[in-house]
Amino acid sequence: MTTDTAAAGAAAAPAPHNPIDVDPETCVRCMICDYVCPGDVIHKEPRSKSLPVIAYPDECWYCGLCEQACPADAITVVFPENMLAPTTPVTSLLGRDPE
Amino acid sequence: MSPTPWPSSEPKWLATDVLVVGGGVAGCLAAIQARDEGAAVLVADKAKFLERAGSVAGGVDQFMTPLNTEAEWDSPEHLMKFVPGLTDGLSDLDVAERAVHELPRVFQRLCDIGIDFTDPTTGEYFRTRAFGLPGEYHLNFDGSRFKYKLGRYTVGHGAKFLPRTMITDLVTDAAGERVVGAVGFNCRTGERYVIRARSVVVCTGDINRISRNISGMPFDSWHFPYNTGDGHAMAFRHGVRLTNMELVEATLTPLGFSVQGTNSYAGQGAYFLNRHGERFMFKYDPKGEKARRTILVNAVIEEVLAGNEPLYIDIRHLPEEQLDDFVRTLGVDRYTLPGYFAQRNLDIRKELLPFGISEMSIRRGGSYFRGSGLVVDTSGQTNLTGLYSAGDCSMVSGGISVAAAMGAIAGRGAVESLGAAEDEDAALDPGSLDTALARMEEPLLSNSGRRWSDFEDDVRALVTDFVGMRRTEKGLRHARERLRALAAEEGELDATGFHELMRTLESKSIRLAAELMTEAALHRTESRSGAAHRRLDHPETDDLHWKRAIVLRQSAQGELALESMTEREPEVAVGGQA
Repeated sequence: MTTDTAAAGAAAAPAPHNPIDVDPETCVRCMICDYVCPGDVIHKEPRSKSLPVIAYPDECWYCGLCEQACPADAITVVFPENMLAPTTPVTSLLGRDPE
Repeated sequence: MSPTPWPSSEPKWLATDVLVVGGGVAGCLAAIQARDEGAAVLVADKAKFLERAGSVAGGVDQFMTPLNTEAEWDSPEHLMKFVPGLTDGLSDLDVAERAVHELPRVFQRLCDIGIDFTDPTTGEYFRTRAFGLPGEYHLNFDGSRFKYKLGRYTVGHGAKFLPRTMITDLVTDAAGERVVGAVGFNCRTGERYVIRARSVVVCTGDINRISRNISGMPFDSWHFPYNTGDGHAMAFRHGVRLTNMELVEATLTPLGFSVQGTNSYAGQGAYFLNRHGERFMFKYDPKGEKARRTILVNAVIEEVLAGNEPLYIDIRHLPEEQLDDFVRTLGVDRYTLPGYFAQRNLDIRKELLPFGISEMSIRRGGSYFRGSGLVVDTSGQTNLTGLYSAGDCSMVSGGISVAAAMGAIAGRGAVESLGAAEDEDAALDPGSLDTALARMEEPLLSNSGRRWSDFEDDVRALVTDFVGMRRTEKGLRHARERLRALAAEEGELDATGFHELMRTLESKSIRLAAELMTEAALHRTESRSGAAHRRLDHPETDDLHWKRAIVLRQSAQGELALESMTEREPEVAVGGQA
């Protein structure tokens, strides 16, 4: 894949669900959410006014350590539609015949 | 895309007596014990702080131990009598016994370092009977700060901590017979490390992201999704024996969010209903919803296959006070669960909760005092000299309690082996080091566009369809062929940046675990331990031939050897099957 088609593909894909909502009004720009995230999902630029970035939204465990640890109560874990209203049948998890 | 450059052309060299890989409960206890003995200790973990490392960083609520009170059941000896009934032939009872006797000692140590196991409302221990054990060995406690305190103490006790570091490989001496260190990198900065160590303790936890789940999101998993069998894989590559890799661990879970604890709803009086409103559990067990977990999981599978979906958990009939208590404690096991129900607009006091089964993990197949991973002896040592293991990646595991006990044992053992190595500090083999560094770097050099996430999806699809809950020889053979083909593609995997490098190397560990799971499941021509290993073509349990653990080992020539061991004769027998 060339860089151009990769970029076009990325543009066409829907934005991934953001699991961690940070309130820009209340966030105090400390580093705690970045530090506690067990998946290296949240990246906050040190010593800057920038908000934490949810760098790898698809890799969130939905554990809520960030929400729990946030000193400003600025974080809410938000569940995606396929967790709130899943459509996959359980039978699809139970194996199938190779033929 | 151009390859990501390392921040410096040479890795940084570090030296320690004992290197602990993984800073969860087992790793911390190994580190504490080794520090007690005066050794220099370095703990490496993918987390930023040791206080926040490992699967119980978010909290934990039980610790299992006998306390040697006057009650007859309250001794290690009494508990030990029941261990063989749990392990089902798949452990080493000498090692399990060592762990059982260590439990009250390590418990006291944890109390001494300031962990409070008492019930905050009474100031006394609140002990309960669980998992079919013959006494009230489980202490319920508020462990929301447990790992924080443990990690903090470990660092305060003099262990050095290497943050955000994924250890990717072991390094040995020229003969490949002794571990002399390891290599790894920082997943943020890309700083590379070569760590010289006189002994290494692998505490990397269980294996996840290996099969599909209902939400279709691989990181939505019951167990910790950042535990991916990296320790299993690096040990296996150096000829270390792995056991019980075929055992499946899955649980009941609300449809859409894989969390633990749903089976315990049954213990509190919940009904399990199918779409006809029938309390179906009584078809499978006279105890109904209070049957053992593996029976619950099997029953759910049967109901789904019979077309009786959706299945529901019903707690609406419980007394008001019990419902209050129930809802209040929902967030103990998983902090975000109450928020999940709220966002779903589901009031479980008044409405039915749809449920099903979770994805699988490789982690002891649901029974305490056995484990899926590195085979260890009574000092926690593997068959590679100087390499120790404890916790969910090792052969004797069981929650934080057994992780703590075996961690302490392995930490002590790791220091004992320092004495033995005193006069002959083994030389690091440059070939072994080059191989390890090249393997770490490979995905950064690739330009193929093949991403770890797609590769991992391919592994999960194979495991879910052919290796998971209901196994047949045909399906397993098909999966093995495809998993081997995926192995051939590993060299193409293309990572940009150091975070992605970590995930890419994890995905390779997951693929290897899937292949080993397939090999062992194919070898075991029987069914055992309920849902842990279910062969549709061999539905009966065959104690005569198979009351033994399968051991997998890679020879120096790279060939897979299947061996086996029995609980009382852990000397490994080649072939394994009568």
